[in-house]
Amino acid sequence: METIITYNAVHHNPWGTPITIYFWLVGASAGSFVLSAFGWVFGIKRYKPLALTASILAIAMLMIVPVLLIWDLGKPFRFIYLMLPGYWHGTAPMSWGSLLILSYPVSMFVYTYFVIKNNQKWAKIVGIIAIVLALSTHWYTGVVMELNPGRYVNHTPLAPLLFLTGAFISGIGLMILVLWVQNQFMRPEKKIKWELMEEMAQYMMYGIVFDFFLLFLDFMQTQYGTASEYLGHSTVLMGIFFTPYIWLEVIIGLLIPLILLVSPLKRTRLGVYGAAFLVAVGVYGMRVWWVMGGQYIQSFY
Amino acid sequence: MATENKHEGPAHHLREYGAQTPGTKGIPGTRRYSMVIDLRKCIGCMSCVVACKAEYGVPLGVWRTWVMVADKGRYPDSRRIFMPRLCNHCDYPICVRNCPTQATFKHEEGFVLQRYNRCIGCRTCVVACPYNARHFLPAKRTNNNLPVLVVDKCTFCIHRVKKGLVPACVQACVGGARIFGDINDPKSEVAKLVAREKVTVLKPELGTSPSVYYIGGDWEIMDEPHNYKHRTAQQREEFNTYKRNHHGDAFGDIVEGENTMYHVGKNMSDFIASIPHKYHEVVAALKKLLFG
Repeated sequence: METIITYNAVHHNPWGTPITIYFWLVGASAGSFVLSAFGWVFGIKRYKPLALTASILAIAMLMIVPVLLIWDLGKPFRFIYLMLPGYWHGTAPMSWGSLLILSYPVSMFVYTYFVIKNNQKWAKIVGIIAIVLALSTHWYTGVVMELNPGRYVNHTPLAPLLFLTGAFISGIGLMILVLWVQNQFMRPEKKIKWELMEEMAQYMMYGIVFDFFLLFLDFMQTQYGTASEYLGHSTVLMGIFFTPYIWLEVIIGLLIPLILLVSPLKRTRLGVYGAAFLVAVGVYGMRVWWVMGGQYIQSFY
Repeated sequence: MATENKHEGPAHHLREYGAQTPGTKGIPGTRRYSMVIDLRKCIGCMSCVVACKAEYGVPLGVWRTWVMVADKGRYPDSRRIFMPRLCNHCDYPICVRNCPTQATFKHEEGFVLQRYNRCIGCRTCVVACPYNARHFLPAKRTNNNLPVLVVDKCTFCIHRVKKGLVPACVQACVGGARIFGDINDPKSEVAKLVAREKVTVLKPELGTSPSVYYIGGDWEIMDEPHNYKHRTAQQREEFNTYKRNHHGDAFGDIVEGENTMYHVGKNMSDFIASIPHKYHEVVAALKKLLFG
Protein backbone atom coordinates (compact mmCIF):
# COMPACT_ATOMS: atom_id res chain seq x y z
CA MET A 1 0.00 0.00 0.00
CA GLU A 2 1.35 3.37 -0.93
CA THR A 3 1.88 5.99 1.75
CA ILE A 4 1.79 9.66 0.81
CA ILE A 5 2.97 12.32 3.23
CA THR A 6 0.28 14.95 3.60
CA TYR A 7 1.73 17.03 6.42
CA ASN A 8 5.14 17.51 7.95
CA ALA A 9 7.00 20.33 9.63
CA VAL A 10 9.20 22.52 7.45
CA HIS A 11 12.90 22.51 8.22
CA HIS A 12 15.51 24.94 7.00
CA ASN A 13 18.92 24.01 5.67
CA PRO A 14 21.14 24.95 8.61
CA TRP A 15 24.14 25.98 6.52
CA GLY A 16 23.92 28.07 3.38
CA THR A 17 25.58 30.42 0.95
CA PRO A 18 28.10 32.06 3.33
CA ILE A 19 29.49 28.63 4.17
CA THR A 20 29.78 27.70 0.48
CA ILE A 21 31.77 30.87 -0.18
CA TYR A 22 33.93 30.21 2.84
CA PHE A 23 34.72 26.70 1.57
CA TRP A 24 35.63 28.12 -1.83
CA LEU A 25 37.85 30.85 -0.37
CA VAL A 26 39.73 28.52 1.97
CA GLY A 27 40.25 26.10 -0.88
CA ALA A 28 41.57 28.71 -3.29
CA SER A 29 43.77 30.07 -0.51
CA ALA A 30 45.25 26.64 0.19
CA GLY A 31 45.77 26.05 -3.53
CA SER A 32 47.55 29.38 -3.97
CA PHE A 33 49.71 28.68 -0.98
CA VAL A 34 50.84 25.36 -2.38
CA LEU A 35 52.12 27.25 -5.43
CA SER A 36 53.88 29.70 -3.20
CA ALA A 37 55.60 26.83 -1.41
CA PHE A 38 56.85 25.28 -4.67
CA GLY A 39 59.78 27.69 -4.77
CA TRP A 40 60.70 28.13 -1.12
CA VAL A 41 59.75 24.78 0.40
CA PHE A 42 60.10 22.26 -2.40
CA GLY A 43 63.08 24.00 -3.96
CA ILE A 44 61.69 24.47 -7.48
CA LYS A 45 63.51 27.72 -8.15
CA ARG A 46 61.55 28.87 -11.19
CA TYR A 47 58.51 29.25 -8.91
CA LYS A 48 60.23 31.66 -6.54
CA PRO A 49 59.20 34.81 -8.45
CA LEU A 50 55.53 34.10 -7.88
CA ALA A 51 55.84 33.00 -4.24
CA LEU A 52 55.16 36.40 -2.73
CA THR A 53 52.12 37.09 -4.90
CA ALA A 54 50.77 33.62 -4.16
CA SER A 55 51.13 33.91 -0.41
CA ILE A 56 49.64 37.43 -0.37
CA LEU A 57 46.71 36.15 -2.42
CA ALA A 58 46.29 33.25 0.01
CA ILE A 59 46.32 35.63 2.97
CA ALA A 60 43.92 38.07 1.28
CA MET A 61 41.37 35.36 0.63
CA LEU A 62 41.69 34.09 4.14
CA MET A 63 41.04 37.57 5.51
CA ILE A 64 37.49 37.43 4.12
CA VAL A 65 36.79 34.14 5.89
CA PRO A 66 36.26 35.50 9.42
CA VAL A 67 33.72 37.99 8.09
CA LEU A 68 31.69 35.14 6.64
CA LEU A 69 32.10 32.74 9.50
CA ILE A 70 31.66 35.11 12.39
CA TRP A 71 28.64 36.93 10.94
CA ASP A 72 27.06 33.63 9.99
CA LEU A 73 26.94 32.74 13.68
CA GLY A 74 23.74 33.51 15.51
CA LYS A 75 25.86 35.13 18.20
CA PRO A 76 28.90 36.60 16.42
CA PHE A 77 30.51 37.91 19.58
CA ARG A 78 30.66 34.42 21.01
CA PHE A 79 33.09 33.19 18.33
CA ILE A 80 35.70 33.59 21.05
CA TYR A 81 34.14 30.61 22.85
CA LEU A 82 35.61 28.42 20.14
CA MET A 83 39.04 29.11 21.57
CA LEU A 84 38.39 29.33 25.30
CA PRO A 85 39.65 26.34 27.29
CA GLY A 86 36.46 25.94 29.31
CA TYR A 87 34.38 25.82 26.15
CA TRP A 88 36.62 24.06 23.67
CA HIS A 89 35.29 20.64 22.79
CA GLY A 90 37.87 18.20 21.49
CA THR A 91 35.45 15.80 19.81
CA ALA A 92 33.86 18.46 17.60
CA PRO A 93 35.31 18.86 14.09
CA MET A 94 34.52 22.57 14.25
CA SER A 95 36.84 22.88 17.26
CA TRP A 96 39.69 21.45 15.20
CA GLY A 97 38.77 23.83 12.41
CA SER A 98 38.76 26.88 14.64
CA LEU A 99 42.33 26.14 15.72
CA LEU A 100 43.40 25.56 12.13
CA ILE A 101 41.75 28.72 10.84
CA LEU A 102 43.51 30.64 13.59
CA SER A 103 46.96 29.13 13.13
CA TYR A 104 47.06 28.90 9.33
CA PRO A 105 47.03 32.68 8.67
CA VAL A 106 49.60 33.24 11.43
CA SER A 107 51.97 30.74 9.85
CA MET A 108 51.36 32.29 6.44
CA PHE A 109 52.18 35.76 7.75
CA VAL A 110 55.44 34.50 9.26
CA TYR A 111 56.30 32.59 6.09
CA THR A 112 55.60 35.67 3.94
CA TYR A 113 57.81 37.74 6.24
CA PHE A 114 60.73 35.37 5.65
CA VAL A 115 60.06 35.35 1.91
CA ILE A 116 60.22 39.14 1.88
CA LYS A 117 63.41 39.01 3.93
CA ASN A 118 64.78 36.41 1.50
CA ASN A 119 65.58 34.06 4.36
CA GLN A 120 65.62 30.65 2.68
CA LYS A 121 66.20 28.60 5.83
CA TRP A 122 63.35 29.96 7.90
CA ALA A 123 61.02 30.38 4.95
CA LYS A 124 61.41 26.65 4.32
CA ILE A 125 60.90 25.66 7.97
CA VAL A 126 57.85 27.87 8.47
CA GLY A 127 56.65 27.04 4.96
CA ILE A 128 56.51 23.33 5.80
CA ILE A 129 54.39 24.09 8.86
CA ALA A 130 52.21 26.48 6.87
CA ILE A 131 51.63 24.01 4.04
CA VAL A 132 50.56 21.32 6.51
CA LEU A 133 48.19 23.81 8.12
CA ALA A 134 46.90 24.99 4.72
CA LEU A 135 46.07 21.45 3.67
CA SER A 136 44.65 20.61 7.09
CA THR A 137 42.42 23.69 7.05
CA HIS A 138 40.93 22.57 3.80
CA TRP A 139 40.84 18.94 4.86
CA TYR A 140 38.74 20.12 7.77
CA THR A 141 36.15 21.75 5.50
CA GLY A 142 35.53 18.34 3.98
CA VAL A 143 35.51 16.61 7.33
CA VAL A 144 33.20 19.02 9.12
CA MET A 145 30.31 17.87 6.96
CA GLU A 146 31.52 14.32 6.38
CA LEU A 147 31.33 13.39 10.05
CA ASN A 148 27.55 13.63 10.09
CA PRO A 149 26.32 10.13 9.34
CA GLY A 150 22.77 11.40 8.87
CA ARG A 151 23.74 13.55 5.86
CA TYR A 152 24.14 10.76 3.35
CA VAL A 153 25.44 12.80 0.41
CA ASN A 154 28.25 14.26 2.54
CA HIS A 155 29.05 11.15 4.52
CA THR A 156 31.87 9.81 2.39
CA PRO A 157 35.59 9.56 3.08
CA LEU A 158 36.12 11.03 -0.39
CA ALA A 159 35.01 14.39 0.98
CA PRO A 160 38.41 15.74 2.07
CA LEU A 161 40.01 14.53 -1.18
CA LEU A 162 37.31 16.17 -3.28
CA PHE A 163 37.82 19.39 -1.36
CA LEU A 164 41.59 19.30 -1.56
CA THR A 165 41.62 18.56 -5.28
CA GLY A 166 39.12 21.35 -5.88
CA ALA A 167 41.32 23.60 -3.77
CA PHE A 168 44.42 22.74 -5.75
CA ILE A 169 42.88 23.44 -9.15
CA SER A 170 40.90 26.53 -8.15
CA GLY A 171 43.97 27.92 -6.39
CA ILE A 172 46.07 27.47 -9.52
CA GLY A 173 43.30 28.91 -11.67
CA LEU A 174 42.99 31.99 -9.53
CA MET A 175 46.77 32.35 -9.33
CA ILE A 176 47.14 32.28 -13.13
CA LEU A 177 44.53 35.03 -13.42
CA VAL A 178 46.18 37.17 -10.73
CA LEU A 179 49.59 36.73 -12.35
CA TRP A 180 48.13 37.76 -15.69
CA VAL A 181 46.81 40.98 -14.12
CA GLN A 182 50.10 41.48 -12.29
CA ASN A 183 52.06 41.11 -15.51
CA GLN A 184 50.16 44.04 -17.01
CA PHE A 185 51.78 46.35 -14.44
CA MET A 186 55.28 44.91 -14.25
CA ARG A 187 58.46 45.78 -16.07
CA PRO A 188 59.28 43.18 -18.75
CA GLU A 189 62.12 41.61 -16.73
CA LYS A 190 59.87 41.24 -13.67
CA LYS A 191 57.02 39.61 -15.54
CA ILE A 192 56.19 36.00 -14.81
CA LYS A 193 57.28 33.93 -17.76
CA TRP A 194 54.68 32.45 -20.05
CA GLU A 195 56.31 29.00 -19.81
CA LEU A 196 55.59 29.01 -16.09
CA MET A 197 51.94 29.82 -16.73
CA GLU A 198 51.77 26.91 -19.15
CA GLU A 199 53.36 24.63 -16.60
CA MET A 200 50.86 25.67 -13.92
CA ALA A 201 48.06 25.02 -16.38
CA GLN A 202 49.46 21.52 -16.87
CA TYR A 203 49.33 20.92 -13.13
CA MET A 204 45.77 22.18 -13.20
CA MET A 205 44.95 19.67 -15.91
CA TYR A 206 46.30 16.79 -13.82
CA GLY A 207 44.14 18.03 -10.94
CA ILE A 208 41.09 18.14 -13.18
CA VAL A 209 41.64 14.54 -14.29
CA PHE A 210 41.98 13.45 -10.66
CA ASP A 211 38.87 15.44 -9.72
CA PHE A 212 36.94 13.65 -12.48
CA PHE A 213 38.15 10.35 -11.07
CA LEU A 214 36.95 11.29 -7.58
CA LEU A 215 33.58 12.41 -8.92
CA PHE A 216 33.30 9.08 -10.72
CA LEU A 217 34.04 7.23 -7.46
CA ASP A 218 31.40 9.29 -5.69
CA PHE A 219 28.97 8.60 -8.51
CA MET A 220 29.56 4.84 -8.24
CA GLN A 221 29.09 5.00 -4.49
CA THR A 222 25.71 6.67 -4.90
CA GLN A 223 24.55 4.35 -7.66
CA TYR A 224 25.43 1.20 -5.74
CA GLY A 225 24.81 2.66 -2.30
CA THR A 226 21.83 2.96 0.00
CA ALA A 227 18.46 4.33 -1.03
CA SER A 228 19.36 7.66 0.54
CA GLU A 229 22.67 7.89 -1.30
CA TYR A 230 21.03 6.98 -4.59
CA LEU A 231 18.23 9.45 -4.03
CA GLY A 232 20.74 12.11 -3.08
CA HIS A 233 22.42 11.78 -6.43
CA SER A 234 19.58 10.90 -8.78
CA THR A 235 17.00 13.35 -7.50
CA VAL A 236 18.79 16.09 -5.61
CA LEU A 237 22.08 16.52 -7.45
CA MET A 238 20.68 15.66 -10.86
CA GLY A 239 17.48 17.60 -10.13
CA ILE A 240 17.41 20.63 -7.84
CA PHE A 241 21.18 21.07 -7.89
CA PHE A 242 21.68 20.25 -11.55
CA THR A 243 22.98 23.77 -12.29
CA PRO A 244 25.76 23.88 -9.68
CA TYR A 245 26.56 20.16 -10.05
CA ILE A 246 26.51 19.50 -13.78
CA TRP A 247 26.67 22.92 -15.40
CA LEU A 248 28.89 24.79 -13.00
CA GLU A 249 31.19 22.09 -11.69
CA VAL A 250 31.33 19.34 -14.28
CA ILE A 251 30.92 21.25 -17.54
CA ILE A 252 32.19 24.77 -16.81
CA GLY A 253 34.66 23.88 -14.07
CA LEU A 254 36.10 20.62 -15.34
CA LEU A 255 35.10 19.50 -18.81
CA ILE A 256 35.63 22.67 -20.85
CA PRO A 257 38.94 23.50 -19.11
CA LEU A 258 40.09 19.92 -19.69
CA ILE A 259 39.26 20.18 -23.39
CA LEU A 260 41.09 23.50 -23.55
CA LEU A 261 44.14 22.08 -21.80
CA VAL A 262 44.51 18.94 -23.87
CA SER A 263 43.85 20.65 -27.19
CA PRO A 264 46.36 22.81 -29.11
CA LEU A 265 44.74 25.78 -27.35
CA LYS A 266 46.83 24.95 -24.27
CA ARG A 267 49.68 26.88 -25.88
CA THR A 268 47.54 29.97 -26.32
CA ARG A 269 46.61 32.70 -23.89
CA LEU A 270 42.94 32.05 -24.54
CA GLY A 271 43.35 28.41 -23.60
CA VAL A 272 45.32 28.96 -20.40
CA TYR A 273 43.53 32.05 -19.06
CA GLY A 274 40.16 30.73 -20.19
CA ALA A 275 40.69 27.40 -18.45
CA ALA A 276 41.99 29.14 -15.32
CA PHE A 277 38.93 31.38 -15.13
CA LEU A 278 36.48 28.53 -15.73
CA VAL A 279 38.10 26.28 -13.13
CA ALA A 280 38.17 29.03 -10.51
CA VAL A 281 34.47 29.72 -11.05
CA GLY A 282 33.37 26.14 -11.58
CA VAL A 283 34.79 24.78 -8.35
CA TYR A 284 32.32 27.03 -6.52
CA GLY A 285 29.56 24.84 -7.96
CA MET A 286 30.97 21.88 -6.01
CA ARG A 287 30.83 23.89 -2.80
CA VAL A 288 27.15 24.71 -3.45
CA TRP A 289 25.94 21.19 -4.14
CA TRP A 290 28.06 19.78 -1.39
CA VAL A 291 26.79 22.09 1.34
CA MET A 292 23.21 22.79 0.33
CA GLY A 293 22.55 19.62 -1.63
CA GLY A 294 23.90 17.49 1.19
CA GLN A 295 21.35 18.89 3.59
CA TYR A 296 18.44 19.03 1.18
CA ILE A 297 16.68 15.66 1.54
CA GLN A 298 16.65 15.73 5.30
CA SER A 299 14.88 19.08 5.36
CA PHE A 300 11.80 17.18 4.17
CA TYR A 301 11.97 14.55 6.92
CA MET B 1 16.22 -8.04 31.49
CA ALA B 2 13.93 -8.40 28.51
CA THR B 3 14.66 -4.92 27.25
CA GLU B 4 18.35 -5.67 26.77
CA ASN B 5 17.74 -7.35 23.45
CA LYS B 6 16.20 -4.17 22.11
CA HIS B 7 19.23 -2.08 22.95
CA GLU B 8 22.72 -2.66 21.81
CA GLY B 9 23.70 -4.95 24.66
CA PRO B 10 26.53 -4.43 27.13
CA ALA B 11 28.92 -3.20 24.44
CA HIS B 12 26.83 -0.12 23.73
CA HIS B 13 28.65 2.07 26.22
CA LEU B 14 31.88 1.63 24.27
CA ARG B 15 30.87 4.61 22.17
CA GLU B 16 31.00 7.54 24.48
CA TYR B 17 32.78 10.68 23.45
CA GLY B 18 32.13 14.34 23.78
CA ALA B 19 30.38 16.23 26.56
CA GLN B 20 28.16 13.42 27.62
CA THR B 21 27.76 10.90 30.33
CA PRO B 22 28.11 7.25 29.32
CA GLY B 23 25.05 5.55 27.89
CA THR B 24 22.87 4.41 30.77
CA LYS B 25 20.30 2.42 28.85
CA GLY B 26 19.92 -1.00 30.44
CA ILE B 27 22.52 -0.29 33.14
CA PRO B 28 21.14 -1.33 36.55
CA GLY B 29 21.17 1.36 39.22
CA THR B 30 20.90 4.22 36.74
CA ARG B 31 17.97 6.09 35.26
CA ARG B 32 17.27 6.39 31.57
CA TYR B 33 14.20 8.40 30.73
CA SER B 34 12.54 7.29 27.52
CA MET B 35 9.31 7.74 25.66
CA VAL B 36 7.12 5.18 23.98
CA ILE B 37 4.68 6.44 21.37
CA ASP B 38 1.86 4.03 20.66
CA LEU B 39 0.86 5.01 17.14
CA ARG B 40 -2.24 2.84 17.32
CA LYS B 41 -3.62 5.34 19.81
CA CYS B 42 -2.53 8.57 18.11
CA ILE B 43 -5.49 10.40 16.55
CA GLY B 44 -3.50 13.32 15.12
CA CYS B 45 -5.21 15.98 17.26
CA MET B 46 -1.91 17.89 17.66
CA SER B 47 -2.57 18.49 21.36
CA CYS B 48 1.02 17.55 22.07
CA VAL B 49 2.27 20.16 19.60
CA VAL B 50 0.06 22.86 21.13
CA ALA B 51 1.03 21.89 24.69
CA CYS B 52 4.71 22.07 23.77
CA LYS B 53 4.31 25.40 22.02
CA ALA B 54 2.50 26.78 25.07
CA GLU B 55 4.96 25.35 27.58
CA TYR B 56 7.98 26.99 25.98
CA GLY B 57 6.58 29.76 23.78
CA VAL B 58 8.05 28.01 20.77
CA PRO B 59 8.10 30.57 17.91
CA LEU B 60 6.23 30.27 14.63
CA GLY B 61 7.90 28.11 12.02
CA VAL B 62 9.93 25.95 14.40
CA TRP B 63 8.93 22.95 16.48
CA ARG B 64 10.17 20.99 19.45
CA THR B 65 7.63 18.34 18.64
CA TRP B 66 5.38 17.92 15.63
CA VAL B 67 3.13 15.27 14.12
CA MET B 68 3.64 13.91 10.65
CA VAL B 69 0.51 12.93 8.76
CA ALA B 70 0.27 10.48 5.87
CA ASP B 71 -2.42 8.79 3.84
CA LYS B 72 -1.90 5.08 3.40
CA GLY B 73 -3.49 3.13 0.57
CA ARG B 74 -5.98 4.20 -2.08
CA TYR B 75 -9.62 5.06 -1.68
CA PRO B 76 -11.75 3.24 -0.53
CA ASP B 77 -9.08 1.07 1.09
CA SER B 78 -7.18 3.89 2.75
CA ARG B 79 -6.52 5.31 6.16
CA ARG B 80 -4.74 8.25 7.70
CA ILE B 81 -1.69 7.58 9.84
CA PHE B 82 0.24 9.84 12.18
CA MET B 83 3.70 9.93 13.60
CA PRO B 84 4.67 12.35 16.38
CA ARG B 85 8.26 13.49 16.21
CA LEU B 86 10.58 14.98 18.80
CA CYS B 87 14.18 14.82 19.93
CA ASN B 88 15.14 11.17 20.34
CA HIS B 89 17.44 11.93 23.30
CA CYS B 90 19.92 9.48 21.85
CA ASP B 91 22.31 7.53 24.02
CA TYR B 92 25.07 8.43 21.53
CA PRO B 93 24.01 11.84 20.31
CA ILE B 94 25.88 13.05 17.24
CA CYS B 95 24.86 16.62 18.10
CA VAL B 96 26.69 16.45 21.44
CA ARG B 97 29.97 15.19 20.08
CA ASN B 98 29.90 17.72 17.23
CA CYS B 99 29.07 20.83 19.29
CA PRO B 100 32.25 22.95 19.42
CA THR B 101 31.47 24.79 22.67
CA GLN B 102 29.88 22.06 24.80
CA ALA B 103 26.62 24.00 24.59
CA THR B 104 24.74 20.77 24.19
CA PHE B 105 25.36 17.88 26.53
CA LYS B 106 23.87 14.66 27.75
CA HIS B 107 22.51 14.55 31.27
CA GLU B 108 23.28 11.45 33.34
CA GLU B 109 19.62 10.48 33.27
CA GLY B 110 19.52 10.63 29.51
CA PHE B 111 18.19 14.10 28.69
CA VAL B 112 20.05 15.78 25.82
CA LEU B 113 19.99 19.45 26.77
CA GLN B 114 21.01 22.81 25.35
CA ARG B 115 22.76 25.65 27.19
CA TYR B 116 21.76 28.92 25.52
CA ASN B 117 24.50 30.89 27.22
CA ARG B 118 27.15 28.69 25.60
CA CYS B 119 25.55 28.35 22.18
CA ILE B 120 27.22 30.46 19.50
CA GLY B 121 24.55 29.74 16.90
CA CYS B 122 26.86 27.88 14.51
CA ARG B 123 24.14 25.27 13.84
CA THR B 124 26.64 22.39 13.72
CA CYS B 125 24.29 20.38 15.93
CA VAL B 126 21.42 21.02 13.52
CA VAL B 127 23.55 19.64 10.70
CA ALA B 128 24.53 16.68 12.88
CA CYS B 129 21.05 15.72 14.08
CA PRO B 130 19.60 13.04 11.80
CA TYR B 131 16.08 13.63 13.13
CA ASN B 132 15.59 17.36 12.46
CA ALA B 133 14.94 17.67 16.17
CA ARG B 134 16.88 20.91 16.54
CA HIS B 135 15.91 24.34 15.37
CA PHE B 136 17.47 27.75 15.16
CA LEU B 137 15.51 30.34 17.10
CA PRO B 138 14.47 33.32 14.96
CA ALA B 139 15.95 36.80 15.42
CA LYS B 140 12.65 38.32 16.54
CA ARG B 141 10.42 36.96 19.26
CA THR B 142 7.34 38.39 20.89
CA ASN B 143 8.92 38.09 24.32
CA ASN B 144 12.22 39.94 24.41
CA ASN B 145 13.42 37.95 27.39
CA LEU B 146 13.51 34.71 25.48
CA PRO B 147 16.68 33.62 23.66
CA VAL B 148 17.16 34.40 19.98
CA LEU B 149 19.55 33.15 17.28
CA VAL B 150 20.69 30.14 19.26
CA VAL B 151 19.73 26.53 18.80
CA ASP B 152 16.86 25.07 20.77
CA LYS B 153 15.39 21.62 21.17
CA CYS B 154 13.07 19.36 23.14
CA THR B 155 14.24 18.84 26.73
CA PHE B 156 11.91 15.95 27.59
CA CYS B 157 10.50 18.65 29.93
CA ILE B 158 13.24 18.07 32.49
CA HIS B 159 11.81 20.87 34.66
CA ARG B 160 8.55 18.96 34.95
CA VAL B 161 10.10 15.51 35.27
CA LYS B 162 12.25 16.69 38.19
CA LYS B 163 9.04 17.68 39.97
CA GLY B 164 7.51 14.28 39.38
CA LEU B 165 5.39 15.37 36.42
CA VAL B 166 5.40 13.94 32.93
CA PRO B 167 6.39 16.08 29.92
CA ALA B 168 3.77 18.54 28.67
CA CYS B 169 3.15 16.59 25.48
CA VAL B 170 2.53 13.40 27.44
CA GLN B 171 0.18 15.22 29.82
CA ALA B 172 -1.80 16.66 26.92
CA CYS B 173 -2.08 13.50 24.83
CA VAL B 174 -5.79 12.72 24.70
CA GLY B 175 -5.35 9.20 23.40
CA GLY B 176 -2.67 8.23 25.89
CA ALA B 177 -0.39 7.50 22.98
CA ARG B 178 2.70 9.02 24.57
CA ILE B 179 4.09 7.15 27.56
CA PHE B 180 7.07 8.46 29.49
CA GLY B 181 9.24 6.92 32.17
CA ASP B 182 12.50 5.35 33.25
CA ILE B 183 13.23 2.44 30.94
CA ASN B 184 15.80 1.06 33.39
CA ASP B 185 13.05 0.50 35.94
CA PRO B 186 11.49 -2.84 34.99
CA LYS B 187 8.27 -1.84 36.75
CA SER B 188 7.80 1.31 34.68
CA GLU B 189 5.23 1.32 31.91
CA VAL B 190 7.78 2.20 29.24
CA ALA B 191 10.00 -0.74 30.20
CA LYS B 192 7.03 -3.09 30.14
CA LEU B 193 5.86 -1.79 26.76
CA VAL B 194 9.30 -2.02 25.19
CA ALA B 195 9.67 -5.55 26.52
CA ARG B 196 6.22 -6.68 25.47
CA GLU B 197 5.45 -4.89 22.23
CA LYS B 198 7.18 -4.75 18.88
CA VAL B 199 8.88 -1.38 18.96
CA THR B 200 10.85 0.49 16.34
CA VAL B 201 13.09 3.53 16.44
CA LEU B 202 13.97 6.09 13.77
CA LYS B 203 17.10 5.47 11.71
CA PRO B 204 18.49 2.65 13.88
CA GLU B 205 21.29 2.13 11.35
CA LEU B 206 23.01 5.32 12.52
CA GLY B 207 23.80 3.76 15.90
CA THR B 208 22.48 6.71 17.88
CA SER B 209 20.40 4.44 20.13
CA PRO B 210 17.30 6.67 20.32
CA SER B 211 15.18 6.81 23.46
CA VAL B 212 11.91 7.38 21.65
CA TYR B 213 10.24 4.11 20.71
CA TYR B 214 7.30 3.69 18.39
CA ILE B 215 4.68 0.96 18.60
CA GLY B 216 2.93 0.25 15.33
CA GLY B 217 5.31 2.35 13.26
CA ASP B 218 4.77 2.38 9.50
CA TRP B 219 8.06 1.86 7.71
CA GLU B 220 7.20 4.21 4.88
CA ILE B 221 6.43 7.24 7.04
CA MET B 222 9.58 6.48 9.05
CA ASP B 223 11.77 6.26 5.96
CA GLU B 224 13.59 9.43 4.93
CA PRO B 225 13.87 8.75 1.18
CA HIS B 226 10.19 7.79 1.11
CA ASN B 227 9.28 11.05 2.80
CA TYR B 228 11.12 12.99 0.15
CA LYS B 229 9.73 11.11 -2.82
CA HIS B 230 6.13 10.67 -1.77
CA ARG B 231 4.68 14.02 -0.85
CA THR B 232 1.40 15.48 -1.97
CA ALA B 233 1.52 18.37 -4.39
CA GLN B 234 -0.01 20.53 -1.65
CA GLN B 235 2.73 19.56 0.77
CA ARG B 236 5.34 20.34 -1.86
CA GLU B 237 3.85 23.78 -2.47
CA GLU B 238 3.53 24.46 1.25
CA PHE B 239 7.22 23.82 1.70
CA ASN B 240 8.09 25.99 -1.26
CA THR B 241 5.91 28.86 -0.12
CA TYR B 242 7.36 28.70 3.34
CA LYS B 243 10.94 28.61 2.14
CA ARG B 244 10.32 31.37 -0.39
CA ASN B 245 8.86 33.70 2.23
CA HIS B 246 10.97 32.74 5.23
CA HIS B 247 14.53 32.51 4.07
CA GLY B 248 15.28 32.19 7.76
CA ASP B 249 18.43 33.06 9.58
CA ALA B 250 20.49 30.17 8.25
CA PHE B 251 20.75 31.35 4.61
CA GLY B 252 20.55 27.86 3.11
CA ASP B 253 17.06 27.41 1.70
CA ILE B 254 16.52 26.43 -1.92
CA VAL B 255 13.02 26.44 -3.38
CA GLU B 256 12.19 23.34 -5.39
CA GLY B 257 11.45 24.02 -9.05
CA GLU B 258 12.94 27.51 -9.02
CA ASN B 259 16.35 28.70 -10.13
CA THR B 260 18.82 27.25 -7.62
CA MET B 261 21.53 29.80 -8.25
CA TYR B 262 19.00 32.61 -7.77
CA HIS B 263 18.29 31.32 -4.29
CA VAL B 264 22.00 30.88 -3.60
CA GLY B 265 22.37 34.58 -4.40
CA LYS B 266 19.25 35.51 -2.46
CA ASN B 267 20.62 33.72 0.59
CA MET B 268 23.78 35.79 0.32
CA SER B 269 21.85 39.05 0.12
CA ASP B 270 19.84 37.97 3.18
CA PHE B 271 23.10 37.24 4.95
CA ILE B 272 24.51 40.67 4.13
CA ALA B 273 21.26 42.29 5.25
CA SER B 274 21.50 40.48 8.59
CA ILE B 275 24.96 41.85 9.40
CA PRO B 276 23.86 45.31 10.68
CA HIS B 277 21.39 43.70 13.10
CA LYS B 278 24.04 41.38 14.46
CA TYR B 279 26.50 44.29 14.56
CA HIS B 280 24.23 46.10 17.03
CA GLU B 281 24.12 42.97 19.14
CA VAL B 282 27.91 42.77 19.19
CA VAL B 283 28.19 46.44 20.20
CA ALA B 284 25.66 45.87 22.99
CA ALA B 285 27.56 42.80 24.18
CA LEU B 286 30.85 44.73 24.16
CA LYS B 287 29.32 47.61 26.12
CA LYS B 288 27.97 45.16 28.67
CA LEU B 289 31.34 43.51 28.96
CA LEU B 290 33.30 46.74 29.31
CA PHE B 291 30.94 48.95 31.28
CA GLY B 292 28.75 46.40 33.03
